[in-house]
Amino acid sequence: MITVNGREFPYEEGLTVANLLQKKGYTFKMITVKINGNVIKKDEYETTLIRDGDNVQVLHHVAGG
Amino acid sequence: MKYLDKNVELCTECGLCEEACSKAYFKVADKEKSRIRINMESFGEKITVCNQCGKCIEVCQVQALYRDKNGIVRLDKSKCVNCLMCVGLCPENAMFEHVEFLEPFKCIACGICADVCPTGAIFLKEREMATAE
Amino acid sequence: MDFKVLKSFSYQLGKIIKGYNNRSLYINLNDYSIGEKEVTEMMKDKFIGGKGFGLWYLWNAVTPETKWNDPENEIVIATGPIGGITQYPGSGKSLVVTISPLTGIPIDSNVGGFFGPYLKFAGFDALEIQGKSKEDIVIFIDGDNGKVEIMDIDTESIDSHLIAHALTDMFAKNEEDKKNISVVSAGNGAENTLFGLLNFSFYDMRRKTVRLKQAGRGGIGTVFRDKKIKALVVKFSNTRGDLNCPHDIELIKKTGIKLHKEIRDLDDKQNQMRKVGTAHLIEIMNEYDLLPVHNFKFGAHPDTKNITSKVFKERYFTQNMPDGCWYGCSMSCAKAVDGFELKTGPYKGQRVTVDGPEYETAAGVGANLGIFNPDFIVEANFYLDTYGIDSISFGTATAFVMECYENGIINKDITGGLELNFGNEKAAMELLHQMARGEGFGKIVGLGIKRMKDIFVREYGADREFLNDIGMEQKGLEYSEYVTKESLAQQGGYGFTNKGPQHDEAWLIFMDMVNNQIPTFEDKAEALHYYPMFRTWFGLNGLCKLPWNDIVPADNDMTDNPAKVPEHVQNYVDLFYAVTGKKIDAEELIRQSERVYNFQRVFNIRMGHGKREDDKVPYRSVGPVTEEEYLSRQERYDNQLKEILNYDIEGKSIAERMKVLREYRESQYEKLTDAVYTRRGWTLDGIPTLKKLKELGMDLPEVVEVVKKHLG
Repeated sequence: MITVNGREFPYEEGLTVANLLQKKGYTFKMITVKINGNVIKKDEYETTLIRDGDNVQVLHHVAGG
Repeated sequence: MKYLDKNVELCTECGLCEEACSKAYFKVADKEKSRIRINMESFGEKITVCNQCGKCIEVCQVQALYRDKNGIVRLDKSKCVNCLMCVGLCPENAMFEHVEFLEPFKCIACGICADVCPTGAIFLKEREMATAE
Repeated sequence: MDFKVLKSFSYQLGKIIKGYNNRSLYINLNDYSIGEKEVTEMMKDKFIGGKGFGLWYLWNAVTPETKWNDPENEIVIATGPIGGITQYPGSGKSLVVTISPLTGIPIDSNVGGFFGPYLKFAGFDALEIQGKSKEDIVIFIDGDNGKVEIMDIDTESIDSHLIAHALTDMFAKNEEDKKNISVVSAGNGAENTLFGLLNFSFYDMRRKTVRLKQAGRGGIGTVFRDKKIKALVVKFSNTRGDLNCPHDIELIKKTGIKLHKEIRDLDDKQNQMRKVGTAHLIEIMNEYDLLPVHNFKFGAHPDTKNITSKVFKERYFTQNMPDGCWYGCSMSCAKAVDGFELKTGPYKGQRVTVDGPEYETAAGVGANLGIFNPDFIVEANFYLDTYGIDSISFGTATAFVMECYENGIINKDITGGLELNFGNEKAAMELLHQMARGEGFGKIVGLGIKRMKDIFVREYGADREFLNDIGMEQKGLEYSEYVTKESLAQQGGYGFTNKGPQHDEAWLIFMDMVNNQIPTFEDKAEALHYYPMFRTWFGLNGLCKLPWNDIVPADNDMTDNPAKVPEHVQNYVDLFYAVTGKKIDAEELIRQSERVYNFQRVFNIRMGHGKREDDKVPYRSVGPVTEEEYLSRQERYDNQLKEILNYDIEGKSIAERMKVLREYRESQYEKLTDAVYTRRGWTLDGIPTLKKLKELGMDLPEVVEVVKKHLG
């Protein structure tokens, strides 16, 4: 199990940041991704693996309107 | 059309081009007033100068920037509203501004700097109108 | 064109000093008197400019009994101290303030176009128009020659695309001179509805056409036509980058170039404002279940694929144009559709340039009406603008009548034959044309949801409670286009607004619902303090909100608080200093806003509104009103009942579940209200306390007098 934005989410082997964003339907571009408090750069979403028990934050910033 | 081209490997950073340029257009030897810059801060290129691509013409709301009959991109100061979008949006960072002036300024491929360059690192070159490398 | 000068007034041209002319222009249409007023140090200290000045002048013009169509009501237009600089994106905004026909309290609207800056360069920090003319007039402010004229001009039409062109042609010497003119106009729809808007023009030199930006919300265009104003025209010919005589122009230039470069390097990877403007939000809101569909019942629809920004980019918006609504706006979000052939209405067959569609229009007249046809959206957008009708109120009000129609509350006899089912684009378009003609059922819808509810109850025996639940209005203003059901913070983001439910005070849905960043009431209250105050500041200074957070620096992720965009906050702190010479910091910036925000709250109270009762919201914005809504998100709602309320759903009907959910959600909103009022320094009835007003230096005698009556 991992935590995504404070809510539980099932862990699976080989889960990358990019996979997670896709699974959650997070298509918005103005986001910051943190794993256990560390910011992941946008060009590392494809290669960064999430480990079981990680605390992931996908912070969507306000825009528009 | 003519434009100023460069061969960065030949540049010895002597600064003669900047001096000649600022003297010609602003009557003073001051690289901050030159239309060609060597080792400009905050930008990786050794030689920064306009390649007459004309991107700035597209972004100018008041059509103060235009291509003259020789293909050179020029600024009509009487139309300029000093917004500096051309400075910020120039893909080459080759539109300049200075604290003493409201209007920006740029290279018009006059060749004065090329004449004083001791190594041939900058030189006037011909190409088809309106296309940039 | 035939014209007659009814009144002429000459004034000394002046010079702006550090962002202020230190005078404003006052015009009374009862007797055509024209004069100057001093802008005092007190006004600058406490109200800054823009809507601050507008609210102060309006306060002094009206009484608690003043109605929108009383002669003493004013329309005040002002940019702010920073307004008119050309080097920083989004610095040409005008703020318009009046007593709204929809709400009976002050409305403020933030609009682009050249009028505000040119008015300022002409010599005035604000334009105050009071009284009512007996005949249709045009007001011309000649900033080149120091002359103000009230004129009778025989124009072909008051529809904005015609009158703005005609007056631009009339007052410009030649093509080159057209950029020096800005026209403010309304239209036939503004005259016949209560949600009329004002168009502010700017001349697009590349397209060689007049473009229009809208002060959309709250019926300002209706007040404008009630005063018999056809148009305002300002002329100023020598726009330069230093006309504000700023304290430190180099700092302005540096800050502006830095943002231009950010936009150059990052916009394409971020929101693509330069390519599609705010339309990029259409697909995002759909993907996050936040796009209003069928009168805010649902948050997404499969057909949204037909109206995404990709569609507008590829088939409609002309690309690579400098689409700024004021000089120097490299964000360039003012997209336009060129050569669009109209298929309906009085201008059928003509090819026109359409300003937009922006997100709000596409969502309001598209998804919310169940119409997923981009041609319809563009056509409706054109007519809404030229008729002078607010696309948000039109969309939300029409969505309301469509739901009423589908529920049998109204029928074809009542609508005059219009089959107002969701998705019926012909009926929606006809409704719009009726509004411009002042005919038929369009005339009723044009009264807005609040008044329609009364009519439907009184005339057609509708169930008041149901209408209150589904009618997406609060304080009399129609909601703008976001679904807030699953975000408590944004329910408050709309509910606690001063002018009525508009998203320009706070947009917290991602922070709250998606990020789960503000879980407690105190967290939500803090956000509902900070963001409304921060965003109020744009309207005090003549600025646009978009360059704050629709583009962010590359390293914004690494900052302590990416949502606030700290580097851009610093830009604004720097700009205020660079123009006015007054040193502020990020905290003083918030205090500047708090002064005006609390003043506006007290203004509402003075007008008999603005208390806790007025901050209640329709249940459609809070939770599922109907079973079909509950079922559309059944898993989410069932889980909430089980997990949060330990409610055993086994054997319970949907109606029983909805009742329990409703009690819970409504109690949450009440708790949020308590927390927000406390954070803002208000009583639990929503009245700013004397202590708070003193702290802010807003304990002006007239303000204290209003508040005291309500503090008990």
